[in-house]
Amino acid sequence: MGETVKLFVNSQEVEVAAGKNLIDALAVAGIQIPHFCYHPALGADGNCRMCLVEIEEGRPPVVPACKTPAMEGMKVVLDSAMIKKVQQDMLEFELINHPVDCPVCDQAGECDLQDYYMAYSLEESRMDVPQVNKKKKLDFGCGVVHDQERCVLCGRCVRFTRQITETGELGIVNRTDAARVDIFPGKPLDNRYALNIVDLCPVGAMTSSDFRFKQRAWFLTRDKGVCHGCAKGCNMYIDHHREKYGDDIIYRYRARTNLQVNGYFICDEGRMSYHLQNNDRQTETIVGGASVSFDDGIKAVVEKLNQAKKPLMIVSPNSTVGQMWAVLRIATLYGGDVSGYSDGYIIEGSGDDYLIHEDKSANRRGLELLAIKQDRAHLLETLGNADLVLNFDNDFHFSAHDIEVAKLLSEKDYVAICSHRLTAFETASVVIPIASYSEYDGVIINHDDVIQRFSRAVHKNNPPKDIVEITRLLGGAITDWKRAWPGIRQTISLLREVEPDQIPEEGMKLMNSGEPDVTA
Amino acid sequence: MGAKIKVVERKGKTFFEQLYLIEIFKGMAVTVGHFFRNLRDNSNLYVRHYPEVKPEITPRWRGRHRLTLHEDGSIKCVACFMCQTNCPSECIMIEAGEREDGVSEKMPVKFEIDLLECIYCGYCVEACPMDAIRMDSGVFSVTSSNRENMMIGIAELIEPPGAFNEDEYQKGVG
Amino acid sequence: MSLLDILLILLRIAFGAFVPLSFVAVLVWMERRGAGFFQDRAGPNRCHVMGFRAGGLIQNLADGVKLIFKEDVVPAHITHKFYFILAPMLVFVTALLCFAVIPFADVLVIGSKEYIMQAVPLDIGILWFLAIVGFGVYGIILAGWSSHNKYGVLGGLRAASQVISYEIPMGLALVSLLVVYGTVNMTEIAQYQGQLLFGFIPMWGVVVQPLGVIIFIIAAFAETNRTPFDLAEGESEIVAGFHVEYSSMKFALFFLGEYVAMFVSSALIVTLYFGSFQIPWFATETLLFYATEVAVAIMVGLPIGAYFFAGWIRKNNKSHYDRPNDPRRREATVYIGLLWLMVMLVEVVLLGYLVFAQNGIADRLLVMILQTGTFLIKTTMMCFVYVWVRWTLPRFRYDQLQKIGWEKLMPLALLNIFITSAVIVSFG
Repeated sequence: MGETVKLFVNSQEVEVAAGKNLIDALAVAGIQIPHFCYHPALGADGNCRMCLVEIEEGRPPVVPACKTPAMEGMKVVLDSAMIKKVQQDMLEFELINHPVDCPVCDQAGECDLQDYYMAYSLEESRMDVPQVNKKKKLDFGCGVVHDQERCVLCGRCVRFTRQITETGELGIVNRTDAARVDIFPGKPLDNRYALNIVDLCPVGAMTSSDFRFKQRAWFLTRDKGVCHGCAKGCNMYIDHHREKYGDDIIYRYRARTNLQVNGYFICDEGRMSYHLQNNDRQTETIVGGASVSFDDGIKAVVEKLNQAKKPLMIVSPNSTVGQMWAVLRIATLYGGDVSGYSDGYIIEGSGDDYLIHEDKSANRRGLELLAIKQDRAHLLETLGNADLVLNFDNDFHFSAHDIEVAKLLSEKDYVAICSHRLTAFETASVVIPIASYSEYDGVIINHDDVIQRFSRAVHKNNPPKDIVEITRLLGGAITDWKRAWPGIRQTISLLREVEPDQIPEEGMKLMNSGEPDVTA
Repeated sequence: MGAKIKVVERKGKTFFEQLYLIEIFKGMAVTVGHFFRNLRDNSNLYVRHYPEVKPEITPRWRGRHRLTLHEDGSIKCVACFMCQTNCPSECIMIEAGEREDGVSEKMPVKFEIDLLECIYCGYCVEACPMDAIRMDSGVFSVTSSNRENMMIGIAELIEPPGAFNEDEYQKGVG
Repeated sequence: MSLLDILLILLRIAFGAFVPLSFVAVLVWMERRGAGFFQDRAGPNRCHVMGFRAGGLIQNLADGVKLIFKEDVVPAHITHKFYFILAPMLVFVTALLCFAVIPFADVLVIGSKEYIMQAVPLDIGILWFLAIVGFGVYGIILAGWSSHNKYGVLGGLRAASQVISYEIPMGLALVSLLVVYGTVNMTEIAQYQGQLLFGFIPMWGVVVQPLGVIIFIIAAFAETNRTPFDLAEGESEIVAGFHVEYSSMKFALFFLGEYVAMFVSSALIVTLYFGSFQIPWFATETLLFYATEVAVAIMVGLPIGAYFFAGWIRKNNKSHYDRPNDPRRREATVYIGLLWLMVMLVEVVLLGYLVFAQNGIADRLLVMILQTGTFLIKTTMMCFVYVWVRWTLPRFRYDQLQKIGWEKLMPLALLNIFITSAVIVSFG
């Protein structure tokens, strides 16, 4: 906290950061001021009037907290009869035409209107005239479904399309009780961040067609995760749940605020990438086309490794630093080469200047720092020499231009250690299932040299093993990536000062980034 | 301190009571009285001859669940998951889906109750905002010869009618 | 050895072996229906063979079939399988052996030969009983220990300490009894009780040893592990105690053993304290003397008794709910028919006796049958007391059980010996 100011809230002295508005400043101190339209990413609009607070001896005495900066000696009153009346009246006003269809609303359980009603109002409706009916279940495009009746007209969505994506597809049309959010006729939402509107909407007016009716919000376990969709490493919440008699599956990703990496939002592509965590997963261990037990599969791989003269290990640029390190160690053990060839992950022109990066791998910096060769020539050379190939979840077929590699590969004894059923692993003689990034923990370094730690979110009924564990079963000495950290730290000079348990939640910018300094 | 103190007489302290035997014989006299009364005439037993004589069920009896219907025959349930949320034995499993009949937006695609897990507490009925689930089917004997049949779905749940008329039920519940 | 000798030996052994076993069925039935009536319930009355329920006896048949066909599980964790299997046999066999020394009728004199009516005509009588009954608890301890189960071990330990505690007052009560009778031979004890005290009171053990009978009965309850002393089972605290790991026929053997033990201990109580086979005021000689009159009295009394019994069947064997063509009415008719058939049979036999076989050996057989019947009726009544107590009294707490055994019963038994000896010494 930089500069601070002291002010009084309900005659209690509170010290808060200077230069912020009252909502943000007091939220840090644990004091919540109800609000609909204000969002730190979108700025104060002041249209919902829900955040009105009383300033003692102030002119005017009642001000919107979102537009009032915290100032020294300010006397804020939140619990006076007038403020309570204001809040109650505002809620009554918002609820006049609200359909109160919470039972069928996906927002129920994480709805600000619901929470505020329970906290500040609890009044019966006094409406004795028919409610204004508006349109429901409008498809706004990009998987956003709009319900005009539930809308409180805070305008967050409109401001998002104008300020953040600068596409401006949404607007508020009409006035008074006929006012509603709408798209321009025939011009639905069309941007790569549209689903953030669902997160932004304080009520159930904007819902996601993907998540629609899938699960109630209160059943979901919200774990923190880091998106592995591109080199940005956006922070997100992994909302998952285990139904009775079912398996633990992910229902959605939501943006998690991290001002150092992604700000308040994530892209739609990353948001939808949770499907890949649930679907197309490799669950069987396969040896020579037949499904066998996991232990037998490991036995087969160990046998192959013992017979191989020159094995080649291919690491994925999505693996954590610890996993890459574990593969390096086991390659040394068996006298093999290591390649991190993954040009296919880079899709030219797919990025933008906001959150989407054209490199679709999460930890390429890790490969670089560990000095794992990524060039095609090295791969082709080592592949030619090798008599056994172990692929640790590296998807060659991410793009189409590696048919040559695939052909060369098909001539070798090929072991795929993979989390998903992909064409890249189809020719393998042995397939070992492993955990995907929602099922293990570790650290990754994004393109901007921010090291981020993430922990395990999903616990499957039959949890697949992590690459570190696989290398241990193959004879490696590393039991846990955190125990191996001293070795990693010695190898990578950039990480010399980094202790995994001390990496803050928002990640840590690695300093003196320069040439990789490898001694091992 | 307005607590009322009631002194309870402690029995079993006198000499004859300490002998036990006398008290035991008194107790045995009571039980043998019952024995001979029933032996002489077994028509006064305090038992119901169950499978033939069915017990009378009040509207408040919590029997097997049923899902109620609107008058047009559409299901009242909107798959809000309130019953599933409140179920202490987690025996209700709902899958929601899009509803096209215009009654609401949402309806259950799958509504399963595992009767082996159900403890018949009636919390689902209390939680339901639509009066869509009730336990007034009057079915109190839920039996089956295999586990699979104890998992009942929508078809079985909407099948039984209410065992009581609406007024009686409302009186009983309210 | 004549044919008659062999026949009588077989008869006595068959009596000793099969009567306790058949009584198990009766006792289980009595226990269940009795429990029902004590608690204003009906008890098991649904099982039937072609509509005949035999008052619930068919339930035993069903249970027997079930127990035989159940899977006989020997849990994998049991290391001493031999002892595990031995234990129920031990319980059952010892219980059965105890009955061998109990006389069920007076000495049968045929010609010049005397036949002692015990399965095993031993002189040591009561000592045999004490030896064998103490051995029976080994079965329970062994079962508990070899089950390799904490509840089993607890049950076994409880049984062991309980038996130790209660064998002492039981033995002491017997000491004073033996001082009175002056013999350990069971038949002699029974004959002793045929005398009359002051010329009009039957000189039963209960009359001469009022304190001893209470001590002995309490100790006998404890020895048979019956309520209120069934701590070895203790369903509420140690699930089922020593037999928690047993299933199928091995469990059934425990079950049978328990009821045989109950029957035997009832028989012993009857033998020692309630006049054994003696009909009050009708000693063996008196009966032999008035054999004809007795036979006539039975011929007259039997139809009268049967009439009332038939009325009771008619009244109670009916469905207690509306039922068209109540099949239980028909059932009752069959029972009543059978009852009268049996009465007729007995009447014919007795008539035959009166006409053709009066005096001589037939008199003695008649007396023997009467005495056997008396003995069984008395024993059944004692068994009913067991059932009666079980459904009246709750189980003791463990410390209470030990307290009663050591602090109450043992001093009382010693006092009883003292008083008895004093009386015997002073009066003769």
